[in-house]
Amino acid sequence: MISVQHLTKAFGKFKAVDHVSFDVREGETFALLGPNGSGKSTILKSIVGLIKPTGGDITIGGVSAVKTPQASRKALSYLPQRVGFHDCLTAREVLEFYCRLRKLPISRIDDVVHGSEFNFNGFSEKRVAELSGGMKQKLGLAVACLADAPVLLLDEPTVSLDPAGAIAFRAFLKTLKEKGKTIVFTSHVLADVEMLADRVAVLVDGRLTALVGIDELRQRIAERKQSLEEIYLDYAKTA
Amino acid sequence: MELSSILPIARQELIVAIRNKWTVIFAFVFGSLVLAISYFGTVTAGEIGFQGFNRTTASLLSLVLYLIPLVALMMGTQSFLRSEGEDEMLFSQPVSRSAILGGKLLGLFAAMTTATFVGFGLGGLVIATQTDAEGFLGYPAFVLLSLILSLVFLSLSMLAAVASKRQTKAFGIALLLWFFFVILYDLLVLGGSLLLKERSANYFIFASLFGNPVDIVRVAGLLSMKGGEVFGAAGAALLKFLGGYTQAFAAAITSLILWTVIPILISLRIVRNQDI
Repeated sequence: MISVQHLTKAFGKFKAVDHVSFDVREGETFALLGPNGSGKSTILKSIVGLIKPTGGDITIGGVSAVKTPQASRKALSYLPQRVGFHDCLTAREVLEFYCRLRKLPISRIDDVVHGSEFNFNGFSEKRVAELSGGMKQKLGLAVACLADAPVLLLDEPTVSLDPAGAIAFRAFLKTLKEKGKTIVFTSHVLADVEMLADRVAVLVDGRLTALVGIDELRQRIAERKQSLEEIYLDYAKTA
Repeated sequence: MELSSILPIARQELIVAIRNKWTVIFAFVFGSLVLAISYFGTVTAGEIGFQGFNRTTASLLSLVLYLIPLVALMMGTQSFLRSEGEDEMLFSQPVSRSAILGGKLLGLFAAMTTATFVGFGLGGLVIATQTDAEGFLGYPAFVLLSLILSLVFLSLSMLAAVASKRQTKAFGIALLLWFFFVILYDLLVLGGSLLLKERSANYFIFASLFGNPVDIVRVAGLLSMKGGEVFGAAGAALLKFLGGYTQAFAAAITSLILWTVIPILISLRIVRNQDI
C-alpha cells in the first residue's frame, strides 16, 4: 500500500532521514519508533507530501507522493502531532469545513461523531478556544476520520491525551484496524506500539536500524526476558 | 482552478475575519472617516457641515492611500503566516497549495470588500441624504480603487508571509513595504528627478509612477474625478505621454492588475517548493 524507497531528507548539511526504505502492506498497522529527532515525523510528513524529500521515492497505492502529492493524498488522512484550528470556530464548523474541502456530505459528521466507537460527543458546539489540548487532539482525529480514507497517518497520536483518552484511542484504532485500514503511526510510547502495531521500524539518527514484526518482538521479550524498553534500547545502541 | 476547493477556504477565512472583529472594526473606521471628513472637512475655513461628494472623495483619497495598504498588509500577513498545527492539517488535504493560498486571498478580499462597502457605503448614503448628488459618480470609482488597492496589498502581504517563515520577520517586511510605498518612494522619485534634466525628469516621473501601486491609485482616483488641476507631476506626465484620460486610466488599471498578479505568482512558486 505504501512504499518508501531510499527516502532521504536533508536540512542544509543535516540529514534528518538517511536512505530509509520500507513497505507497508494493505491493512497493516505500522509503527515508526524512535527517540526525539530520529526522523519519524519527517518520514510521515514526506509520505503526506508536506515535506519535499531530498532523494528517494514514496508511493501510496502506486501513486507517487513525491511527484503527485495532491493525487496521493486522496487515499490518506493525516493527524499531526500538534493540531490547530481557528479559535473562533466551533468544533462542528471545523468538521463542516473539512467536509466541504474533501467534497463529503455534511451528514458524514454525524456518522463520525455519533456513529464511531470513539467518544467525540460533548464538544461539537464548543469553540476551539474552549477546548483542552486533548479535546483538540480528539477533534483532529475526528477530522482525520471524516474522509474514511484507506490510509491513516498519525503523528504521536496519544501525546496530548490523558490516560483514559489514550486507552479509548487505542481501542478505537483497533476497530479501524479491524475495518482493514492501513495505519502508520509514530510514537515513543512503547505501550502504543506493543498494543497496536503489526510491524515496527526503529529509527535512530535518521537511519532505519531495525524492521521487525511485533510477534518477533514478543518472542524476544519472552526468550531474553527483556522488556520492550530494553530491546528498543539495544536497537538504539547498535545503531 | 479548483474552485470547489478555493470557495470553502475563502468562506472560512471570511467567517474568521468577521468573528475576529477585523471586518467590523474596519467598516466602522471607514464609515467614521467618510462622515468626519465630509462634516469637518471645511472647519479650517470656518465652516461646518456636510460637503458634497467631490470634496469628500478628494480628501478621502489621500487618507485611504495611507490606511488601506496598512490594513491589508497587517490583515494579510496575519492570515498567511504559518500556524504549525493548522497548516499541517490543511495542507495534508487533497487540495493544491495554490488553491489554499487562492482561497485565503479570496476570503480576505471578501472581508475587505465587506468592510469597504459597509463603511464607505453607509457614509456615502448619509452624504447623499444631506447634500446634492454632484460628483456622486466619482465616489463609486473611488470605492472601487480602494478595493483594488486592498487587493494589491493583500497579495504583497501574501508574499511577505510566504517568503519569511518567522512572524516577526513577516510583519517587519510588511511594515517596511508600507513605509517604502506610502512614504519613502515619492521622496526618492522627487530626489531622483531633481538630478535629471527636464525632459529626462519627465520620462523618469512617468516611468516611476508604475513602480508604486499607491501612486497609481492616487493618479487613477484623480483621473476618475477629472481633477486635472490637482494631478501633480506624475498624473500630468501620465496624461502627457499617453494622450488622454481613457488611455491613462487603462494603463493605471493594467499596472494595478500586474501589481496584484506578480506577487501572487511569486508566492505560489515559493510555496510549491516549501516544506510545511
